[in-house]
Amino acid sequence: MDLLTKDEYAAIAADMDFPNTAYIDGAYRPAMSGKTFATRNPATGEVLTDVAACGSEDVDFAVAKAREAFDDGRWSRMHPSERKDILIRFAKLLTRNARELAVMESVDSGKPIYDCETVDIPETIHCIKWHAEAIDKMYDQIAPSSDDHVAMVVREPIGVVGLILPWNFPLLMLAWKIGPALAAGCSVVVKPAEETSLTALRVAELASEAGVPRGVLNVVPGGGADVGEPIGRHLDIDMVSFTGSTKTGKLFLSYSAESNAKEVVLEMGGKNPAIVMEDAENLDRVAQHLVNGAFWNMGENCSATSRLIVHRAVKTELLERIEHHAQHWNVGDPLDPETRVGALVSPAHFKKVSGYLKKAEDVVFGGAAGGGFVAPSLVQLPDNNHVLARDEIFGPVLGVIEVDSFDQAIEIANDTDYGLCASLFTANAKRAIRGARMLRAGTVTVNSYGEGDISTPFGGYKQSGFGGRDNSVHAHDQYTQLKTIWVDLSDDEDEAVS
Amino acid sequence: MTPIFKFEGIYTPVVTPYHHDGTVNFDTLSNVIEHLISRGVHGLISGGSTGENYAQTVAERVEIATFTADQIKGRVPLVMGTGAMLTDDSKSLAVAGREMGADAILLASPPYAVPTDRENALNALAIDKAANLPVMLYNYPHRTGTLMGEEFLDRVGRSRNFCGIKESSGDINRVHLLARDYPHIQLGCGMDDQALEFFAWGAPFWVCGGSNFLPDEHIALYQACIVERNFEKGRRIMSAMMPLMRVLEQGGKFIQTIKYGVTLNGMDTGPVRAPLKGLNKDDKRALEQVVRVLKTTIANIQAEG
Repeated sequence: MDLLTKDEYAAIAADMDFPNTAYIDGAYRPAMSGKTFATRNPATGEVLTDVAACGSEDVDFAVAKAREAFDDGRWSRMHPSERKDILIRFAKLLTRNARELAVMESVDSGKPIYDCETVDIPETIHCIKWHAEAIDKMYDQIAPSSDDHVAMVVREPIGVVGLILPWNFPLLMLAWKIGPALAAGCSVVVKPAEETSLTALRVAELASEAGVPRGVLNVVPGGGADVGEPIGRHLDIDMVSFTGSTKTGKLFLSYSAESNAKEVVLEMGGKNPAIVMEDAENLDRVAQHLVNGAFWNMGENCSATSRLIVHRAVKTELLERIEHHAQHWNVGDPLDPETRVGALVSPAHFKKVSGYLKKAEDVVFGGAAGGGFVAPSLVQLPDNNHVLARDEIFGPVLGVIEVDSFDQAIEIANDTDYGLCASLFTANAKRAIRGARMLRAGTVTVNSYGEGDISTPFGGYKQSGFGGRDNSVHAHDQYTQLKTIWVDLSDDEDEAVS
Repeated sequence: MTPIFKFEGIYTPVVTPYHHDGTVNFDTLSNVIEHLISRGVHGLISGGSTGENYAQTVAERVEIATFTADQIKGRVPLVMGTGAMLTDDSKSLAVAGREMGADAILLASPPYAVPTDRENALNALAIDKAANLPVMLYNYPHRTGTLMGEEFLDRVGRSRNFCGIKESSGDINRVHLLARDYPHIQLGCGMDDQALEFFAWGAPFWVCGGSNFLPDEHIALYQACIVERNFEKGRRIMSAMMPLMRVLEQGGKFIQTIKYGVTLNGMDTGPVRAPLKGLNKDDKRALEQVVRVLKTTIANIQAEG
């Protein structure tokens, strides 16, 4: 897609009609209490619209409608190929409305329009399409058994699922969850992050237009205590998939334990290391990966590279190259296609990130913060115990730790509560494989930064999460459950196996 | 933000008294309004069909509603009727409602045009936009020719102002649909002979023409069903009211009957406007008889405590 000019994007944004009510049972509906909360453009502080502030009564209603839809089979028992057709139509409608969604996402979250247009929206569409295409190509199993029996192992949609979204990738995380959940035949109740509710609401409307039956995809905006917790504690929700902070994720475990022991899949924080050894090839290319890993999406990314563990021998040169590349990451108006670093999502989050920056003792570059924007920053850390090395900052701040050996690098990389992603730069193949195996993280990249893509599972070790994986066919596991069906074919009852 | 409006209780669509030359009798209108407020009705509607809106110009309707607003002085909520053949007229009425300080608007489908659900919803959203006030929808397919169907209800959800519906279709399945699938739109009884059924499904309000002249009895039913949750008592009150409902809903002379009822209470509402004609002697006698029995029976039920 060709990018427009800053003025053209501004004109689209000014003319936009923002959806602002819940979307339940195939229709926009205000919160039953009538309450609303203001949602703002983080880059300007301007109020975009007042969004319905839903409560437990709206959650109850959405779950009841989702349950009705699930139980009568209008979606859950539809032939997988029909579900596929509808989801592909849905992906086409997303494509047709891509520009509107991109601008809406940018003004709601502070993300650069460049990223929305070139990454978030295309990947969102691709994700829906991918899971749609997969669903009628998955086979159940027949277990080995005697002539007198058939033992089938089948997968069934798990039921009504609650999907709790973070604010850093409002659309993409929605797609990561509804893609496999809807493909599997589940009914879903989505809670978007309070800061970024708009695109999920619009997407729900497009899903209806594509033919997803009413009640199957519901979006209930509102606060954590008012919507998140009621979803977590709901007795008629079978499973919750959560992406967000480790602190909130743990709450969902307790909600589950205290209610109906619903399944919980957690995808939480990260403090992701990148190890650069003295034998790494092409330091300029390494630097590009690191800049991308650390500063993309303003560092508001659970898989962002936030600890650079670098061998003393190459440190000086590498830092120079990182600084050189970081200079090209313009900070500014998210609707300007030249901008690579937009506004942090909210004043509260800006305060948190700039607070961490103030604790940095040795700033190599960056460090500037103002008006909701934080410049890409590189700080040297004395060791891995510094607060900037332990806490997930969720901002464009990369901390550097110097090491003298490979073993020391691995030890420091693993010395964290988290284990989402890690990357390792070395030209030594043995070291690369050995290191990849030793790093305790859900995704390890060698000589590059990345999360893999839709075809590979994504999720964390340790306090970065558990219970399932997003992306790939494995994502379907969390939204389905296994059933064993034994059929006794024998004629003689005496020979039957009990 | 627009706070949601809670429609609760008895909403009286106020009749329009006329002088015998056909002009609006504001003195009597003032008396009717004072009487209704003193009897404790919970809200008033100006410019509903009971007020003969179809036989009035937009200017007259605005004048009557403005007079009503001034008379009420905020003591009870005022709902401004915006039903009209032309969308622009409805918008003008909606704007006038906002300017005079009405608390909500009553929004009906335009009669005769028979719009589709989509057209009707876009029309409703346009009128809503003009007023930006809480909306009480008015579904009366027998009069307008079009039903506010599910697509309509789904589409108007884009504005959070749509928070009530006066349901006058007479189809009990609509009550079930609205109560179960549209809980964010407060359900109001607009079909007098089904009031008990509406209350059983939790409808918090009742728009009843009969409350123009029998406010106590209509309030009694609301009180029994919704406030006291005593449906046994409610059923007895409703049973006593059924002869009146038959006269009103099935007699074919709804407005004439209501206006004559008000006249019986000592406030001469004058003639009805063309094309309607007043009640004949037999109709008048029948109403007097029904009212007498109904008042006595309900007073006795109330006296039991």
